[in-house]
Amino acid sequence: MGDLINIKGSREGLRMHLAESAEWPAILAELHEQLGEGGDFFAGARLVIDVGDRALSEAQLAETLEVMQTYGLQPDSLASTTRESRNAARALGVTARPSAQRKTQAAPSSEGEATLISRTVRSGQVIRHQAHVTLIGDINPGAEIIAGGSVVVWGRLRGLVHAGALGNRNAVVCALELRPTQLRIADVIVRTPDDQAETLPEIARVEHNEIIVEAWRIHKRLKADS
Amino acid sequence: MARVITITSGKGGVGKTTTTANLGAALAMQGARVAVIDADIGLRNLDVVMGLENRIVYDLVDVVEGRARLRQALIKDKRLPELCLLPAAQTRDKDSVRPDEMIGLIEQLNGEFDYILIDSPAGIEGGFRNAIAGANEVVIITTPEVSAVRDADRIVGLVEAAEKGPPHLVINRIKPRLVNRGEMFSVEDVVEMLAINLLGIVPEDETIVTSTNRGEAAVFDQRSFAGQAFINIARRLNGEDVPIIALHDNQGMFDRFLGLFGRNKA
Repeated sequence: MGDLINIKGSREGLRMHLAESAEWPAILAELHEQLGEGGDFFAGARLVIDVGDRALSEAQLAETLEVMQTYGLQPDSLASTTRESRNAARALGVTARPSAQRKTQAAPSSEGEATLISRTVRSGQVIRHQAHVTLIGDINPGAEIIAGGSVVVWGRLRGLVHAGALGNRNAVVCALELRPTQLRIADVIVRTPDDQAETLPEIARVEHNEIIVEAWRIHKRLKADS
Repeated sequence: MARVITITSGKGGVGKTTTTANLGAALAMQGARVAVIDADIGLRNLDVVMGLENRIVYDLVDVVEGRARLRQALIKDKRLPELCLLPAAQTRDKDSVRPDEMIGLIEQLNGEFDYILIDSPAGIEGGFRNAIAGANEVVIITTPEVSAVRDADRIVGLVEAAEKGPPHLVINRIKPRLVNRGEMFSVEDVVEMLAINLLGIVPEDETIVTSTNRGEAAVFDQRSFAGQAFINIARRLNGEDVPIIALHDNQGMFDRFLGLFGRNKA
């Protein structure tokens, strides 16, 4: 990962920081690369573009939006400390807000941290997180969890889960009741067989290009950890 | 302060309007001052179900746009003097009203009523937003069908996001024989899926069709099981502890309903 662009999940959604001092063409190339690597993780997401102290021109913002659109990303708003950038945002119909770059630069980890969520995720709701997701509660049909890492559900999983959405095939999905409408790990997709009646805790992982699902047993744990 | 309760569902045709009309009548029968508001602008029905269609002079949009005072637009029920209807406009659409105008309207009604029930349109768009804007409680209606429960789940999420507190659930049109044969969701299945407080269950009942077409609430009909179920729901809203029939005793509930149905036919 280059340090020109840093995309992180936060409470308000995804936030993309563009390095303030780098050359613009380098930033744009890096943007193409990072969003391309992300694959499905970004599809349909909204993110805050944070350019910090950079004075972004209208043309530069338009280029950025074009690249984002290619990968299915919508701008939520543009965060900046400069008037030029904010004027560019207004001209292109993007909400402008003050930059929070200063504050977040202190956080060193670009991998992000696991998140713990305690609620029912309902139809139409999407949880998007760049690292592991632990959920205490149910994921109902029509809900989606998209995680860069593994997904652990202490409850019923009946919606759609995409683990390892940034391409990590070592990600696993486990749930007390694993009955997703569809399950994706990295680029591998399965749907639950229609006749499945198991309600045991199960774990899903990728083996030989296929997602396999097994009942949760303690002796399997070491394998799943590796 | 009135309790402002929006009745909504996401999916159409599950019984929002019937529930609003019957709960309004049941609460008024129990002595409360009740206003029911039809927020389904452009597809108004509540007035028809309540048999008040021919009394409409002014409607909700007339009030919002200043052509009529609220008092002029409110229609008194035929039987219950404590029950009033604020009808929707039929010749306009959902965009004729903004959420802040709905809130203003409800504030005007607030001092004069104990309950304000708002009949929401189907869907999750502007009309639904208008309907929940002024509410402080939400009742979600569903039927025990996959699509209705899915939509109800979506609505629960939206209601929670709008910070209206946890919504209540009414499961409408339960067909015990189908549940018994495993061909329909049971009450438990639905409650487990939606994980919200169950306010009541209403059995499928042919008398609803008759009473709706006549423009009379089913709660006036002592022989209507659905009507009696709505009365029980109104009592629970009033804070009475009325048990939901044998929720934990499936077989018992089925037997009882089957028995009643049998008698009904005879």
